[in-house]
Amino acid sequence: MTVDKDIIQEISESVEICLAPDGKEYPVTGRQAVNSIARARGISGRDVEVAALERGIIPRCYLRNIGAIGLEGQIKLLQSSVAVVGAGGLGGTIIQLLARHGIGHIIVIDNDRFAEEDWNRQSLSTEEGLGEYKAIIAARRVGEINSAITVTPYVEKLTRANAHKLLKDAKVVADGLDNLPSRFAAEEACRELGIPFVYGTIAGFSGQLMTIFPEDVGLSSIYGPSHSLPERGVEVKTGTPSATPAMIAAWQVQEVIKAITGIGKPLRNRLLMLDAEEGVVDTIELGT
Amino acid sequence: MASITVRFYSIYRLYLGMDRLSLQADDLGDALAQMEERVGPRLREQLQMRGIELDQKMQDFSLILVNGINIRNLGETKLREGSVLHIFPPSAGG
Repeated sequence: MTVDKDIIQEISESVEICLAPDGKEYPVTGRQAVNSIARARGISGRDVEVAALERGIIPRCYLRNIGAIGLEGQIKLLQSSVAVVGAGGLGGTIIQLLARHGIGHIIVIDNDRFAEEDWNRQSLSTEEGLGEYKAIIAARRVGEINSAITVTPYVEKLTRANAHKLLKDAKVVADGLDNLPSRFAAEEACRELGIPFVYGTIAGFSGQLMTIFPEDVGLSSIYGPSHSLPERGVEVKTGTPSATPAMIAAWQVQEVIKAITGIGKPLRNRLLMLDAEEGVVDTIELGT
Repeated sequence: MASITVRFYSIYRLYLGMDRLSLQADDLGDALAQMEERVGPRLREQLQMRGIELDQKMQDFSLILVNGINIRNLGETKLREGSVLHIFPPSAGG
C-alpha cells in the first residue's frame, strides 16, 4: 500500500527518542499513536508500523526484536502471513509468539474446542474458555497481545480437500497438529503451494522439529510412505506434560522467523530431536 | 561385513540406558536381527512396565532410518562401512 506524506508527518510527530540496552538512541513510536493514525486513515496498524520502520522509526513493542532481526527483518515479518494448523499445545504457543514477534497476519486453523484435559499444556486454554473454539480464543488473544496485526481464524479441520484454500495466502505454515495423516496432508499442500512447512511433534519429555521446504524430502524420510501410517504415536502412553510443547513450539517459531527473514540456517533435511528427560539435543541428517 | 552404529533416541535411549550400540552386520536384515536379540526384550519389558504392551519386534513398532532414510523407503538393504541406524518411536502429539 502507499502511505501519504500526512501519515509520515503524523508518525514523525509521535516519535520519541529511546535509549536502548546497547547504549544507542533510537527513534520510537508507540501503539497508541500507531492505532490512532491507523483508525483516522482507515488503514491497518501494521501498515502504519511498516511505514514507520521504513523511515527508521521503531514501534516500541518491537524494540527488543531489532538487535536480532534488524529493521528490514521486522518489516518482512509485518508484511507476512503465517498459517498455524492446530491451536493446541504447540499451536497455542506458536500463535502467541508470532503475535509478539509482529507477524502481520496470522491464519489459525482448528476445529476443536478447549477441554479440561488441555489445561496442563495448552497456553491458550483457561477455565473461562472451557468449551470455546480454540481458533476463536486464539484470535481474541492475538488481538490482546498485538492489535496492530490481523488474524483470520478458521473453525475447520485441515484436510486434503480444503488445505489449498486455507493455506494459499501463507508465506510459511507452522505445524501444531496432533496426528500424522493431517501432517502429511499439510506437508503435501505446502509442497504444492511452494510454502515452507515447519514440522513439530511431541511425546512425553521428547519432541522433534524440522523445516521442510518444497524441494526437500520431508516427512517421508522419517515415516516412510504416507500409506500405512499410524494416526497417533507413543504420546498416547507417555502423555504430553506441560513444558514439552512450549519447548518445541518456541523452536518452531524461530524457524518461521528464519524462513521469512532469511536469517540463519534453517533446520532443512535435519531432524532435530529434543530429549528433555536426558537433557540432550541431537540432529539427524536426513538422506535425500 | 560392515561396522555400523545403532543410535537410540527419546524413550528408547532412556529405557535402554544407552544411546548407541556398535554392530558388525552383513546387511540391514542382519543388523535388525542382532539389535532385536541384544536389546529387544529389555525394551519391551521397559515399555510394558509403563503400560505399553507390544509383542512385535522393535522394527515393527519403531521408526528406523538408515543413514537418514526410513527403511521403508530403501530400495536395497546393503549396509556400508560406518552406516548409522537411527531408531525411535513414532510420536504425533501437538
